[in-house]
Amino acid sequence: MDRNSTGLVFVLPALIVLAMLIAYPVAYTGLLSVTDRQGAFVGLTNFKAVLSARATPQAFWNTIWFVGGSIVFQVLLGTATAILLNQSFFGRGIVRSITLIPWVVPGIVAATTWAWMFHTEFGIINYMMTGSGIIPEPIGWLTNGNTVMPVLIAINVWKLFPFVAIMVLAGLQSIPNDLYEAARVDGANFWQEVRFIMIPQVRSVIVAVTLLLVIWGLNSITIIYAITRGGPANRTLITPIQIFRLAFESTQFNQAAALSVIFFAVALVIVIIYIRALASAPGEAK
Amino acid sequence: MSDPSTLRRTGLPLPITIVGAALVVLICLFPFMWMAVSSIKTLPELYTVPPIWWPETPTLGNYYKVLFESNIPRYFLNSVIISVGSTFLALILAIFASYGFARFDFRGKPLLQSFVLIGQLLPTAAIIVPLFITLRVLGLVNTYWGLILVYMIITLPLSVWMLTSYFKAIPVELEEAAIIDGSSRLGILFRITLPLSTPGIVAVVVYAFVTTWNEFVFALCFATDSSVKTLPIGLAEFSTEFNTDWGAVMAASVVMTLPIALLFFSMQRLFVGGLTAGATKG
Repeated sequence: MDRNSTGLVFVLPALIVLAMLIAYPVAYTGLLSVTDRQGAFVGLTNFKAVLSARATPQAFWNTIWFVGGSIVFQVLLGTATAILLNQSFFGRGIVRSITLIPWVVPGIVAATTWAWMFHTEFGIINYMMTGSGIIPEPIGWLTNGNTVMPVLIAINVWKLFPFVAIMVLAGLQSIPNDLYEAARVDGANFWQEVRFIMIPQVRSVIVAVTLLLVIWGLNSITIIYAITRGGPANRTLITPIQIFRLAFESTQFNQAAALSVIFFAVALVIVIIYIRALASAPGEAK
Repeated sequence: MSDPSTLRRTGLPLPITIVGAALVVLICLFPFMWMAVSSIKTLPELYTVPPIWWPETPTLGNYYKVLFESNIPRYFLNSVIISVGSTFLALILAIFASYGFARFDFRGKPLLQSFVLIGQLLPTAAIIVPLFITLRVLGLVNTYWGLILVYMIITLPLSVWMLTSYFKAIPVELEEAAIIDGSSRLGILFRITLPLSTPGIVAVVVYAFVTTWNEFVFALCFATDSSVKTLPIGLAEFSTEFNTDWGAVMAASVVMTLPIALLFFSMQRLFVGGLTAGATKG
């Protein structure tokens, strides 16, 4: 009983702050979503209005694309980089530090710098690619509806793969040496070590990191908002930006709240499915 | 690949490692090199086709514009105050909460733990309106305290999560020994648990400082007065204020990136170092 209350005392200050900043706004969002401007109860009207808007399904699929596409490449590139940086070579420490820079740098800086590099007329990327003959003529990367999403995904991958790399690297470093030694006695080569020692040992790290990436991805506004604001023609409109626009550009607070509720529910379902799937998986993995 | 009988460390062939490392460095650094080079170019040199690699007449004019003819220095100060304040607050709250979660059992603990984590899950855009109303009621819109508090939403959940796992990894026997010696709970926390979790503390500090320094959306909505505006907003504003003065934007980007890069490089050893392995494996 004593331990009971002591633990709670330790936890309480943080909980109060979070309750004030999270529980209350969430409840308030719920209330806003079923009322009108005057605060009168209107049932599901706001939900209907939001769901029938043409931008909503488009933003939904854009979000799936953006988050899914980013994560696949972030995890693959990040894990590969971690394995690379776990090798011993001259200057490894400095390379490790440099790898972290994209993650550390402010999103708005990354966004403006890449926007400048992808500039149609004066951008270095068009220059390098036309110069080396990869593309025949300059491409309007950020204005062309077909290229803008892949470009934003690439920028987002560049921004966050270092985070995956550093977390996986930490996992790799904590693998006990006996495992490698045992494998070497058995004559394992490098790729067998990767497959049978490294990947299984850092699996839990990758799982946790992926969950974080999903959550961050669903929250990411800065890069897209700073570069395209959702354009051209809503091709990069993701749901968080749609909510932001509804609230602050169209001042439809109630519809924005309804969309938030839907978005939150979908995000929650995705995360729960992910955690459930993982809770059952470890049996099969070694 | 290598001779198994020597038990030497197997690995990627060195040439592949070197090429890979060089590629990683290039990918990570090139945008910053280009940013730095662009920031010392004059306007005509910025807007030429083809782009030039190195300016013939490097200029500090863009920096002069940023440092003396804009609000950037003020925003810089605001960012420092807000980031330091929210990092400190998050650290204090997270240390206690994590210790409570890691070392005690109490009713509703799993529920409370997931509540903390769900905070991290909230779509930030979704709670801006109610948060704005809350802050207005408390008189905290356009104040340092407003942003410092709001940033608990994005720093606290992950900080608690990280520190809880660090605390859990510390053998409880160490603390039990101290209890037998008559130490108080707080004494144990500060004299035994915290020193053993230095990498965790550093990770939390770096994480909290970096995320708050870089945060964009909340700052955009809750700090609209130039006395509290932070650097990311200043940068976004700068690019509209001067329309497409890319030289000045790049100079402002350099100014904004430097402190965070310095902090990170000085902490990197502790942050990344294998101290955890040492502390937990023993």
